[in-house]
Amino acid sequence: MSGAIPNAALDVRNVMWLLAAMAFVVAPHAFRLPEWVGAFFALVVGWRAWIAWRAARNPPRWLVLALTVGAVAATFFAWGRIMGRDAGTTLLVLMAAMKLLEMKTSREVVLAIHLGFVLVMTNFLFSQSIPLGIYMLACVWLFVATLVGYHRGVGRTPTVRERLVPAGMLLAQAVPLMLVFFILFPRVQGPLWALPQDARAGISGLSDTMTPGNISKLIQSEATAFRVQFEGDIPPYHTLYWRGPVLWAFDGRTWKVPDYNISGSLAYTRSERPVRYVVTVEPHGMHWLFSLDVPGTVPAFAGLRHDLQIRSVRPVDVRVRYEMTSWLDYRYGENLPAMFRKLALSFDERRNPRTVALGRQWAAESATPTEVLARALRLFNSQFTYTLEPPLLTSDDPYDEFLFEAKRGFCEHYAGSFALLMRAAGIPSRVVTGYQGGEVNPLSRELLVRQADAHAWVEVWLEGRGWVRIDPTSAVSPDRIDSGINAALGPIGVFPSLIAADRLGVLANMRFVWDALNSQWNQWVLGYNVDRQRQFLASLGLEIADWTKLALWLTGATLAVGGLVGLGLVLRDLPVRRDPAVVAWERFCAKLARTGLVRAPHEGPVDFLARIEAARPAVAAEARAIVERYVEARYGPGITRPESRDLLARVRRFRPA
Amino acid sequence: MFANARQSIADWIFRARTPESPPVTLVQRRIFILPTKQGYLFGLVLLVLLLASINYALSLGFVLTFLLAAMGAVAMLHTWRNLAHLRLRPGRCDPVFAGDTAQFRVVLESPSRERYAVAIRRREGEPAFVDVRATEHAVATLPVPAPRRGRLRCGRLEIFTRYPVGLFHAWSYFDFGLAAIVYPRPSPEAGLPPQQTLAGNDEGIPVPGDEDFAFLRPYHAGDSPRLIAWKALARGDDLLTKEFQATASAELWLDWIDARAPDPEARLSVLAHWVMETERLGQSYGLRLPGVSIPPGRGETHRARCLEALALHGEVPET
Repeated sequence: MSGAIPNAALDVRNVMWLLAAMAFVVAPHAFRLPEWVGAFFALVVGWRAWIAWRAARNPPRWLVLALTVGAVAATFFAWGRIMGRDAGTTLLVLMAAMKLLEMKTSREVVLAIHLGFVLVMTNFLFSQSIPLGIYMLACVWLFVATLVGYHRGVGRTPTVRERLVPAGMLLAQAVPLMLVFFILFPRVQGPLWALPQDARAGISGLSDTMTPGNISKLIQSEATAFRVQFEGDIPPYHTLYWRGPVLWAFDGRTWKVPDYNISGSLAYTRSERPVRYVVTVEPHGMHWLFSLDVPGTVPAFAGLRHDLQIRSVRPVDVRVRYEMTSWLDYRYGENLPAMFRKLALSFDERRNPRTVALGRQWAAESATPTEVLARALRLFNSQFTYTLEPPLLTSDDPYDEFLFEAKRGFCEHYAGSFALLMRAAGIPSRVVTGYQGGEVNPLSRELLVRQADAHAWVEVWLEGRGWVRIDPTSAVSPDRIDSGINAALGPIGVFPSLIAADRLGVLANMRFVWDALNSQWNQWVLGYNVDRQRQFLASLGLEIADWTKLALWLTGATLAVGGLVGLGLVLRDLPVRRDPAVVAWERFCAKLARTGLVRAPHEGPVDFLARIEAARPAVAAEARAIVERYVEARYGPGITRPESRDLLARVRRFRPA
Repeated sequence: MFANARQSIADWIFRARTPESPPVTLVQRRIFILPTKQGYLFGLVLLVLLLASINYALSLGFVLTFLLAAMGAVAMLHTWRNLAHLRLRPGRCDPVFAGDTAQFRVVLESPSRERYAVAIRRREGEPAFVDVRATEHAVATLPVPAPRRGRLRCGRLEIFTRYPVGLFHAWSYFDFGLAAIVYPRPSPEAGLPPQQTLAGNDEGIPVPGDEDFAFLRPYHAGDSPRLIAWKALARGDDLLTKEFQATASAELWLDWIDARAPDPEARLSVLAHWVMETERLGQSYGLRLPGVSIPPGRGETHRARCLEALALHGEVPET
């Protein structure tokens, strides 16, 4: 039993529609998957189009089979597996190509269209941006239009309009129900099964180590790291140090988050009022969350470590939103346990000997640790240059090479060498990585922190003062801290972004609008998770205790909205409104019938009038007026709308008894 | 499998239905709707999409899944609407000869809006698809082979649609008791009817005057001597018989007895051939079958009456 109209399956235009829809949905993948995948797909689409156009034969079965085996093998060689996001998508694209090549019956055509819907989904694994969403909606429309094409049109191919209009109507009418489901369908926390390793591939962000050079790579990225909405005023720009991983362990080149958990008492004193804000962090696949200085509260799904690092229980695989309070003015860690002290002073004696020697020399020559700090900052300030393209440090003693030879570097060079100098001088120190500053969107008053704002600084422990933040980069390039990275790098081409050159122009304004839009999109569409759902429903006055209640609401709302949509469709089918003259006439006859004067079925209005006049002379005049008007309406030239209303009114007033 | 299920449902619901009187309006309780195989497959795809959305926490995946699911639900309504309130009337159904194909016609009318790709089919037949414009009528023609003479019953018909997306199959049944008359296939080898039937008739001397004389034809054994063209014979021509145009009173009876053939069906075929031939020759003829006697006459209507009598010979008359 074929689902489509006979011969619709291999009609040239129907096939072309399907091929076009397929090409559209696969196109974005061409830029993400290896080149040969896109090339192969394009080739197959071209081939299939030729087959349809020239009514040529489909390739033989053995060839399709051979190509299928080849596709699986090629996928495996390209990715080293056939599962996972990248490999899975590659395989799906190749299989779709095979399906196109071999399809002959309408059943196979419909199968290919279903595959198309799955391909739409694979696109979302890579991006869920607004433009891609719109593009994919267009693809779905194309697919539904293709499906309509196979079920419409008798004896001829349907026109473009005959495909697109019904498909558009279907989708438009589906939107209300879709919204109900989107809002009310119970969301679950976390994946149902383990995600393939590459599910979040390509997400940039900080790592848990710092080697000279790895942050400067991050700086090139305009990608959003997180967004912050402050309650009240945004604190001064130079105080916005977003703390991320805290690096204690050092092997001579690389700073690392220590392997073991650092816990301990969190004694700190605070002054003034805390800053309140909400952070929406983009997925980065790691555990840490970002906050300003000393956190007052910690999100429920995270813990606070002794070094003020907030770690989420789960890796941040999805966009996470959390509320924070922070104290920017604080004292903390005034008692340093011996174990921490040891850790904060340790370094490999054999590496970077000149740096270590310099640190020791400063310690010998200075009376207080503060003096050591000042000497170090002076050194950076006088002789060093801030650049995004520092020379590569290749030796085993990279900090020696940086301090005594290159003298050009980026925040991780300064932070790393500064911390090492301090340790050599006997001052406990650690490197903190995170982000500095951000960009305020004047429309939404939201702070947007990009990967480009990644930063590294140092914290030193001073007797009687606790942990103190020192940003050696600010000694070299104070602009970096006061007004952001673009200002620090100057107007010339180190950071060749159009946007950077046009901070205040039209482009910037458009960009702010776009950012604001994106932020709403992220919060309400992409970030609509368990918490957001609960929050949103609560704001509607629905306290959802558990998912059974949610399911109940979902069912109710589905029935209500589905019923409304259905009613809208069905009501259009009801016969046209009845002629008011007929309604009036029937009522007139019914009134007379109640008094015993029944109109015979064959009796015309004029004959009936004669009988009325004879039987009810009292109302004869009024009856004549009504009958004449009715005859004029039905058998004569017709009557106007006010006249028909008048007729109805007369009948209503008519009292035959 | 689903087709079978549908068939059993139908058989159960329409157990002992007598033919309905037209027009039939497809009111809502007459219309059934179930997903097609593609519909079930679509459901499976939706499930896969939903699981992927949940697992990867893809908000746009949820949007896609729910949009498609809602689209399916709306499509069900559209499919159902494509049949609802459709009015059906039986169309013309011309008689055919056995071995030809009868064309059953159903007239579809839409009181409100356009309907697309509505199909009508017999139990195991090929469907005939039509579009129905709003307030116009469309005719669906079902070709059905008619192998044997008699009354070819169309039987119950299924009207169905899968428009717009083929995920649902909406259908209904109706039975107008449509039947086509199938004439016996004429057997050309039977030749012309024996003329003695004409001669053997005493009552009607067929020649009112010479003005009706039409032509001469070769003499057949048994031709009446009165019709022999003696003058032509005298001129030295062969023995010829005078044929008259107006043979209305010359009653040629096509008789069951005269149609010599091995079995009754073959006899009927011979008679059918005679009817066709005598009509072609413009002769007036009557038909005599066991239990049936059609007085002589001529013309399309008369021929149809005779052929119908042959077609329905031995059948229980229609009540």
